[in-house]
Amino acid sequence: MIRLQDVTKVYEGGTVAVRDVSLEIPKGEFVFLVGPSGSGKSTLIRLMLREEGVTRGNIFVAGKDITALPGWKVPFLRRSIGTVFQDFKLLPNKTVGENVAFALEVLGRPRSVIGPQVTQVLDLVGLDDKAGRYPRQLSGGEQQRVSVARAFVNRPPIMLCDEPTGNLDPATSVGIMKLLDRINRTGTTVVMATHDHAIVDAMQRRVVQLADGNVIRDEVSGRYETVGGEA
Amino acid sequence: MSRVGFLVREALVNLRRNLLVVTGAVLAVFVSLFLAFGALAFSQLVDLNTAKWKEGVHIIAFLNDAGRDGVPADAHQTLLAEVQNWDEVRTAFYIDKTAAYREYQEIFANDPDLLEILENPSVLPASIRIELNDLDLYETVEFRLNQQPALIQKISSAAQEIEQISALSRALHLLAIGLSVVLGVCAVILIANTIRLAIYARRDEVSIMKLVGASNWFIRVPFLLEGLIEGIVGAVLAVFSIWVAARTLAGAAVGFRLFNLEIPGDFFLRWGVVFLFFGAAAGVIGSLLGLSRYLREADGGRPAGARRALEPV
Repeated sequence: MIRLQDVTKVYEGGTVAVRDVSLEIPKGEFVFLVGPSGSGKSTLIRLMLREEGVTRGNIFVAGKDITALPGWKVPFLRRSIGTVFQDFKLLPNKTVGENVAFALEVLGRPRSVIGPQVTQVLDLVGLDDKAGRYPRQLSGGEQQRVSVARAFVNRPPIMLCDEPTGNLDPATSVGIMKLLDRINRTGTTVVMATHDHAIVDAMQRRVVQLADGNVIRDEVSGRYETVGGEA
Repeated sequence: MSRVGFLVREALVNLRRNLLVVTGAVLAVFVSLFLAFGALAFSQLVDLNTAKWKEGVHIIAFLNDAGRDGVPADAHQTLLAEVQNWDEVRTAFYIDKTAAYREYQEIFANDPDLLEILENPSVLPASIRIELNDLDLYETVEFRLNQQPALIQKISSAAQEIEQISALSRALHLLAIGLSVVLGVCAVILIANTIRLAIYARRDEVSIMKLVGASNWFIRVPFLLEGLIEGIVGAVLAVFSIWVAARTLAGAAVGFRLFNLEIPGDFFLRWGVVFLFFGAAAGVIGSLLGLSRYLREADGGRPAGARRALEPV
């Protein structure tokens, strides 16, 4: 589903964020990207989303090389990827329902389809009674659930999550992870950057560990830390 | 079709939900265009009054009596016909002694002493009243009249004074037009900048929309519509305010004969439409300029890490 081939990202000034990373993520997999701040986790997510351009290498999403994608085609790529961020990235002037509906509006779906789909996905994340609220009227956990609902409402084949539990307490984080796990079970590929030990250890999924932009560990059913060492 | 409906609804909802920012943008348009339109209305007043002052008789040639002192009996009519044929002359007409006396009586109707002094109507000379095509040519006409010293008793001309007023009005007109242009340019910059700032305040929204997969036009259209509406509302307010101010001024100056403060309705109609387009264009341009930067960002196509190089990776 996603294939990174010798991907390198060097920022202006010479900072190397990602160095010769090659990675293959099959359809339906749940992958944790772990590592300390500055290790390159978020950069990888941004590269896969074409928020940034690679300096060298190629990234294939569903067989297509997105590094060669012209700018006007980037929105089409993003419509096939759901995104969840640490800071939720909700539109502040839109209600919960409108925020979720927006992802369908950009696809040009008719209102008759949007309404039921929004209700269904809000029901899935347990916020069907808060569709008319604004993001500022919700708790952090609720906002993140809206964000997950928006990311999943058009049933994308891929979900990229950048520290989705970074701003949440442990109990709320568990709720979000249950949601992501449920979404993954529908066949959606989930890539999640995190440094939440407890979650990675509890989920027992594939773990890709990064350090200084290099992949230093890739385990099928791993833990946050290697036995006897640090992540 | 549903997408067009959504984008229009988006613009209207955004206008309602960002009321403070929208009010600021509308006020910027209003104030800028009010000043520019006011300067234009002032130049119109200057033009109207100059035209008014330029109307009427510019030169009076008082004539010696015909049939006396070697002046032929038909000399007055011959001269009138000649003057009427001059290119510089728009109209010329003859006032005989009787008409001159009647005119004297009308002018001094409230001054019986002056009326009593002039008992004999034949004392007043006949005259030719001349209205010029171009005030600048008054010296030429005077020169030509002076070629007949036996017939011409005296030449009286208001042209010099009118010329001074003309010069003053030209300066005022230039000032007002210059002011309109300068204020117009300022208006575009101010409006565009205000709307840019309004978009800057919402730049995160733009980046979120892009992350969700919205195309540039999908993001742009509601912002353009918002700018368009803000521009038009501000322009309508500006034109309407100047119209009200002009009506009030004209109403207060009824019977005031020296100046004409009545601006014709077609001026407001003609220039009002121009200013509406002006406001709308400024709103749209402001939105386009304001958006372009944030739309370019987050496309992953720019040179590596211009801004995010400073951010943690």
